[in-house]
Amino acid sequence: MEFDEMKKIWDSQNNTALYTINEDALHNRILSKKNKVYHITNISELLVIIIFFFTGCFTLGINSTHQNGGIHTHLLAAWMFGTSLFVLINRLLRISKTKQFDRSLSGDLANAISIATYQVRFSRLMRWNIVPIALLTILGVWGNGKSIWIISGIIAFSALTYYAGGWEHGIYEAKKRELETLRDKLENEFAEI
Amino acid sequence: MTEEKQKQIFKFWLNKHKALFFKVVHAYAYTAMDKDDLFQEITMQVWHSIPAFREESAVTTWLYRISLNTAIKWTKKEQKHNRAETLDQVEHLLQENQKHIDERLSWLYREIYRLNEIDRSITLLLLDNFSYREISGILGISESNVGVKITRIKKQLITKSKKTDYHGI
Repeated sequence: MEFDEMKKIWDSQNNTALYTINEDALHNRILSKKNKVYHITNISELLVIIIFFFTGCFTLGINSTHQNGGIHTHLLAAWMFGTSLFVLINRLLRISKTKQFDRSLSGDLANAISIATYQVRFSRLMRWNIVPIALLTILGVWGNGKSIWIISGIIAFSALTYYAGGWEHGIYEAKKRELETLRDKLENEFAEI
Repeated sequence: MTEEKQKQIFKFWLNKHKALFFKVVHAYAYTAMDKDDLFQEITMQVWHSIPAFREESAVTTWLYRISLNTAIKWTKKEQKHNRAETLDQVEHLLQENQKHIDERLSWLYREIYRLNEIDRSITLLLLDNFSYREISGILGISESNVGVKITRIKKQLITKSKKTDYHGI
């Protein structure tokens, strides 16, 4: 056979649908993505609530026993409790919102996107939360007359945490985009094949 | 570019040029799982590429460039990482529509798949009527190199087709 004939065979595929979409597989894939996003969000929230609550208790305890923390350490403890409470309220709101989505393919996908959007917002807030915590910690330590090296260490650690927070935020954004791309494909391509 | 506009373009391209994506996926991925994976990867890259599209080239040329570059990178990555997952453990998104596939077309895809990554791209573009200059632009190799490779690929495919009586070619 000559190459022109191969070309004719090649062109023939433009008029036929070479593939169909396995809707069950698609639904399972969406469920798996949703569960993954849900799991990450759930764990992050719980960790933030527990860690901030106990760190707040610890800061308050140390401040009460040593009587040398000053106003900044009290503010730091209050900020920790506030963050923990804020995340707890947001978690409850998020969980109640989940009930709005039906268990259809598009409902599960919309739910997954909603959780991913929440996670992106949550990671952004937690990243910015490093700034007031670092500031209050530095002011508290400074008030206690600690050495410049300890303060430098706190600044370096906070900067590192802020950087790592940005990296983590990028991962969540990519996951969200992936889900949105899947939704666009679902709305358009998969309905037509 | 707004996200809404990007979404509209993405939907339009996906619908209008679906045959292009399937051709690339079919030529570069062999198993159903790999086809799903590559299809997903290509559509992601197409989505990200939309703001960079300046209409200096035709949409098909642009999409071929994105798809082929993604497929070539994906192939190299896949060669490094063998999947632990077995094929029967996963459900596949794309199911081949067997009754519509010409046996000769299947043969042609198999032969394209046996070529190296660059020759595969050249063959796809050649079969879709791209000129030597366009192929050279998309793949970033010289026009004379494209010419040499095309002559060799054509000769190879014609020779193989003559030996493959079973497919009626």
